[in-house]
Amino acid sequence: MITLSNNPTLNPVPMPQDDDEDPRNGAVEANDHAHQSPLKKPRLTRPISEPDILQEFSHHQQGFARINNGSFGSCPRSVLSAQNTWHLRFLQQPDEFFFNSLRKGILESRAAVKALINADDVDDVSLVDNATTAAAIVLQQVGRQFADGSFRKNDAVIMFHCAFPAVKKSIGAYIGPAGGSVVEVRLPFPVRSDEEIIAEFKKGLERGKINGGRVRFAMIDHITSMPSVVLPVRELIRICREEGVDQVFVDGAHSIGSVPVDVKEIDADFYVSNLYKWFFAPPAVAFLHCKNSKGLVDLHHPVVSQEYGKGLALESSWVGNRDYTPQLVVPSILEFVNRFEGGIKGIMKRNHDGVVKMGTMLAESWGTMLGSPPEMCASMIMVGLPSRLCVTSDDDAMSLRTHLRVYHRIEVPTYYQALRNEDRDPKDKDGFITGYVRISRQIYNTDEDYHRLKNAINQILEDGKICSMLPVE
Amino acid sequence: MATHNNHNGDAISNRHVSKKPKLAPTAAVAVITEADLQSEFSHHDPAVARINNGSFGCCPASVIAAQRRWQLLNLRQPDHFYFNELKKGILHSRTIIKDLVNAEHVDEISIVDNATTAASVVLQQTAWAFHEGRFHKGVDAVVMLHYAYGSVKKSVEAYVSRAGGDVIEVPLPFPLTSPNEIITEFRCALERAKSGGKTVRLAVIDHVTSMPSVVIPVKELVRICREESVDKVFVDAAHGIGCTSVDMQEIGADFYTSNLHKWFFCPPSIAFLYSRKNSSSCDLHHPVVSHEYGNGLAVESAWIGNRDYSAQLVVPDVLEFVNRFEGGIQGIKRRNHEKVVEMGQMLAAAWGTHLGSPPEMCASMAMVGLPACLGIKCDLDVARLRTHLRDEFGVEVPIYFRAPAAAISAGDVVTGYARISHQVYNKVEDYYKFRDAVDQLVNSGFTCAQLST
Repeated sequence: MITLSNNPTLNPVPMPQDDDEDPRNGAVEANDHAHQSPLKKPRLTRPISEPDILQEFSHHQQGFARINNGSFGSCPRSVLSAQNTWHLRFLQQPDEFFFNSLRKGILESRAAVKALINADDVDDVSLVDNATTAAAIVLQQVGRQFADGSFRKNDAVIMFHCAFPAVKKSIGAYIGPAGGSVVEVRLPFPVRSDEEIIAEFKKGLERGKINGGRVRFAMIDHITSMPSVVLPVRELIRICREEGVDQVFVDGAHSIGSVPVDVKEIDADFYVSNLYKWFFAPPAVAFLHCKNSKGLVDLHHPVVSQEYGKGLALESSWVGNRDYTPQLVVPSILEFVNRFEGGIKGIMKRNHDGVVKMGTMLAESWGTMLGSPPEMCASMIMVGLPSRLCVTSDDDAMSLRTHLRVYHRIEVPTYYQALRNEDRDPKDKDGFITGYVRISRQIYNTDEDYHRLKNAINQILEDGKICSMLPVE
Repeated sequence: MATHNNHNGDAISNRHVSKKPKLAPTAAVAVITEADLQSEFSHHDPAVARINNGSFGCCPASVIAAQRRWQLLNLRQPDHFYFNELKKGILHSRTIIKDLVNAEHVDEISIVDNATTAASVVLQQTAWAFHEGRFHKGVDAVVMLHYAYGSVKKSVEAYVSRAGGDVIEVPLPFPLTSPNEIITEFRCALERAKSGGKTVRLAVIDHVTSMPSVVIPVKELVRICREESVDKVFVDAAHGIGCTSVDMQEIGADFYTSNLHKWFFCPPSIAFLYSRKNSSSCDLHHPVVSHEYGNGLAVESAWIGNRDYSAQLVVPDVLEFVNRFEGGIQGIKRRNHEKVVEMGQMLAAAWGTHLGSPPEMCASMAMVGLPACLGIKCDLDVARLRTHLRDEFGVEVPIYFRAPAAAISAGDVVTGYARISHQVYNKVEDYYKFRDAVDQLVNSGFTCAQLST
């Protein structure tokens, strides 16, 4: 029996109160739109009400339009509370915790993830800090294959040009010096269909063969970060297999909790997703799924401990003494999501519908357009900014973001894209569109958040200001 | 400038002490009371005699509260936290650490998760040197102590052996009677390397070994390394800061790492990695590459993707905490040392055994021989005995199995040593409880063989 200290500063974050029972609560009905999933039906958990949701996220800054769930995610109080309880158990008697609880707890979390992503074997599921760490793990072993000659000097790796900056740097650190060359595929943006992306990717694969080498490794985002688009990963992987690409790594940093993730169906060699972005985990935990991990003798966590050589999952479960509590709360997260109608599938659908509706509203108000069609978005969408704002550089985009945060209490990431090809570049009635916002929708958002953004931009235009004129302090 | 040797054999000077600001209570800060101290550690399980601070350390309630505040600040508005608070906070922690360890420049101090991570950072660089042909297989070697920590040994295997480097282990006697025994063995190992035609590129030296635990004369060993032209020296001081004297200028190593969550009251987990700035300064990188790659290890380590960095941000709060004690961290170290030696000698006298090393080779931990009649015959015995002590007697203490020198099962040869720790929350009752538990086992005719049924 765990007894918590009398010290109030150490007690868990208080649970939401049940004071205001929403009359809509009752038995959760099967939703016609929800997909069949064992996670859909809540077990013995209380259905969640609107006031519950407010309470669960009452630690978010109040009066702030937080429309950037994509960057840092969010974590409800009940999961934070569970994390706190684990933390206190460790502090109370760490040896006992280490010997009797830690390993079991991590295995339970891994098993929960395995079920969530339809993996075959829990040994194939490792928990790491984040997608950045997973990228280092996978790319180090690719680098070793170039270094030891399994991959030859004129062989290539292929990735999209808008791959996450950390991942690009990781490729630069581990592939380049080992002798591999890198082919970058430009993501068409704004994009109109999967076919545009597939065509570019095929061209990229051809370029990879130019020096008489092969494309050995493909790094494919499931949902790109900036600009944000859902890529047709299943089709791209099929093409990779046809071309004889040795290994495919899907960077699904944003996936879990925003798109369905079935690793058997997707069939990548490596698949990573952050649980803290869209799956309500605290910072930070991600899973890395490795197809047939037992056959991967050279995949290692770069922080070597006494678990070295026992498989990545075990190596990752002990990288020295650290706070492993984010990895322990996955069962508590499942309890939380199962309080929602349709479970995580219901959440995903409502987030998607909501973000498309709000994105369309903004585009109409500003006279701009969406960066991609709704079916190529999940819980995030790119919306063109009015050309009159004059977003002419990354600095301009950042100034606008900072200005919105400081002066309008709105958090939304902004994106600058230089003109590429005048005929096809997007335009509004006043000129070319070079700036976008990436709006996210998570369960704590309300339509009001997006109307505030709409009004803030319209106000800036009315005041006749452009990005470079905006005060940021 | 008056100099004197502290119990660790490290010379400290008054000038050195006065260089460090705010490391002891001032008139404005009241010395911590017994009641406060109780309250600060009231989250520890009261039923357990917790004499193993060495493994997982401890964190007072006021620092945990500070950590929570940082966590909530991030969760409240993470974009603002990332852009406006995080870097500043980590730099503040690094600056305090720089002063504490007498580094010359804050650029020399990086913060990482733990010493295990630091070892990977340093050894990865050695591996690259082999891959790039700067170090040569069959010629270049790494030297380490036989009692190096398990994870570090594995790291050497993963990064050095796999890359083709030779690994030379320095055997260490245990029990020990003097630091000279270590110095002699170390010299011999370097001699062996030389006569075998090897060039020692890196020496990995513990400051305080983990199991069995002794304070290694690092300053002397670093000096020998310089004499013998060893390229670089990496000191693994997992138990360093808050436990023994940690002065980068005195010790003179190229790389030095220490956990702050063991003896410096930080929550899990945080360690620093010191990398000496000099003309041939190496290209250390964090293995988890982020967009900060190439901006120096300290900046790389301060952002390795989105994570909870709160444990790295509470160093100022920890400093406030230790400054509530008489003599600050120096006072805490001195009292821990005196107490652990006193308790170790008490236990050894009660059991008719001995300490594993002389007091001057202990810091805040001591190895105490267990009665031979307990029949400790292997590593499994000590693991089971440790569990038995935890489950049946409420005593938490790690135990080390030391195979007898001769292959005789002499009844009076001590084959097990308990590593007792002393930290500010410990009381003499903790050690009496341990003493009495072992006495009870002995009196009941217990042997470890009984635990395997």
